Amino acid sequence: MIRPSEVLFGFLDEDAKKEIRRALLKAVALPGYIVPFASREMPIARGWGTGGLQVSLSIITEKDTLKVIDQGCDGSVNAVNIRDFISSVTGVPETEDTTKASIIQTRHRVPEHQLTEGQIIVYQVPYPEVLDSVEPDTARQKEMHANNDYAKLWVLLYEDTSQFGDSRMASGYPVAVNDHYVMDPSPIPKFDIAKLNNSQALHLFGAGREKRIYAIPPYTKVAPLTFNDRPFQVEQFPGKACERCGCRDVFLDEVHLDDGVHYFCSDTFHCDTVLNTRGEGHAA
Amino acid sequence: MLLELEAVSKIFGASCGACLDLTGEPGAICPDCGSVVAVNRVNLKVAEGEVLGVVGESGSGKSTLLQLIYQDQPVTAGRIFFNGITNQEGKRQDILTLPATHKARLRNRDMSMIYQNPHRGLNFNFSAGGNIAEKILDTNERSYDTIRSRALHFFTKIEMPPTRLDDYPDAFSGGQQQRIQIAKALSSSPRLLLLDEPTTGLDVSVQARILDLIKALQREMGFAMVVVSHDLGVINHLTDLTLVMKSGCLVEYGLTDQILEDPQHPYTQLLVSSKL
Repeated sequence: MIRPSEVLFGFLDEDAKKEIRRALLKAVALPGYIVPFASREMPIARGWGTGGLQVSLSIITEKDTLKVIDQGCDGSVNAVNIRDFISSVTGVPETEDTTKASIIQTRHRVPEHQLTEGQIIVYQVPYPEVLDSVEPDTARQKEMHANNDYAKLWVLLYEDTSQFGDSRMASGYPVAVNDHYVMDPSPIPKFDIAKLNNSQALHLFGAGREKRIYAIPPYTKVAPLTFNDRPFQVEQFPGKACERCGCRDVFLDEVHLDDGVHYFCSDTFHCDTVLNTRGEGHAA
Repeated sequence: MLLELEAVSKIFGASCGACLDLTGEPGAICPDCGSVVAVNRVNLKVAEGEVLGVVGESGSGKSTLLQLIYQDQPVTAGRIFFNGITNQEGKRQDILTLPATHKARLRNRDMSMIYQNPHRGLNFNFSAGGNIAEKILDTNERSYDTIRSRALHFFTKIEMPPTRLDDYPDAFSGGQQQRIQIAKALSSSPRLLLLDEPTTGLDVSVQARILDLIKALQREMGFAMVVVSHDLGVINHLTDLTLVMKSGCLVEYGLTDQILEDPQHPYTQLLVSSKL
């Protein structure tokens, strides 16, 4: 006998969760490989994080602690709404503390704090197929993945290097996972790519609109596609520091206000932590 | 031998099993099941550095034969051997039985194809340099400077100004696009170059320049070529040996001079006498 409250834990019905978990297991077993799944209707529109939401809802348990960020920020409207929704259908405690969260759902950023063993980070992915930019035929794409044939992606890199001196891809830079599948790490900045390599945490990627799931298991080699003689370059902020906490070695947001351009930490929890340890409290 | 074909056949459609015997010189369509036998048990050998011409009327299976060699199409029956491709015991191995990745490597590194239509051979979303780079990248070269200098080297070899390397294919004329295809095909230093009507559709002066270019590069680099053409002038200009195809069958094979001067098979006689 299943009580209605048990059926509703995590919003999705048990069959949906089972299907998504199966896709997740396959994705973890084949690092970087794209697994299709039957994306369900969610109470938010497709394209607004339904992939990440479904992954989070199917892995979450009563013992978890949840953190949701959007562009590194815990307080943006989408992050707050998704966090409140998951919390209301599971009763799981919310947190802004990266180190205390067991599940972190994110859009466009990896937190500045190093993720540790046992943590799961769930990415909301708009375009899962990295080969879409060079090969429109999905059957061909699958062949190319199977044959480890990524010459066309390398040509994009060649073209950007010959015309602009470096790749123009600012986010979602293609990475080779475990020396085989090349995947789109979702639109995280190049700055965050290094955090994927040999990470202690489990990285799960969900694309709701495109109905795809993929994963990077803990301690997996993740390398951006780069020419031997052209080192991978991440975003730099020469001479700039966060105006709140003064950090320089983090990813900064450029904020245009009436009185000019300002720079702040993109990861708000990191910014608060730095201020707190200095004893300046929870600044506005 | 660089390349050997043993009884290679290609049937389009569900074969009744007797298609190969029922078709041939009278026609390529099986009277029993209606399948089209594009290539019918062709045996062929190409030595290193040899230039072989393939002639025949349209629909005789010339292009299909080339596509079978280049693995653009699956072979229905037969075996293909390529020099250096061996199994674990060191015996030569049929390339059709190779795993997909090995097949791709053979196709990318040891062979190149030049198509009649540049739209098939070039990716119009990539620049001329990018197209050449793609072929070099296929050989697993991962140094930008090496790729760039090799692309430039072959781009200048086809008599193009280096300043145009980063232009896109649609900014070039048809003859120039064909030359870019040649640069792309040669950039991996292949051992076998396959040419499918390389100059058909180009005006005569451009044709002559491209043929001279191919001939000069072949002498310089020493790769073997299989040239498919219905133009006997092209065959005469480029090739040492010629085979004649009709309805999927090989009907005559020999030295190009001999075939053009003294054709034996009635169809070849017709072909040579119809030359304008």
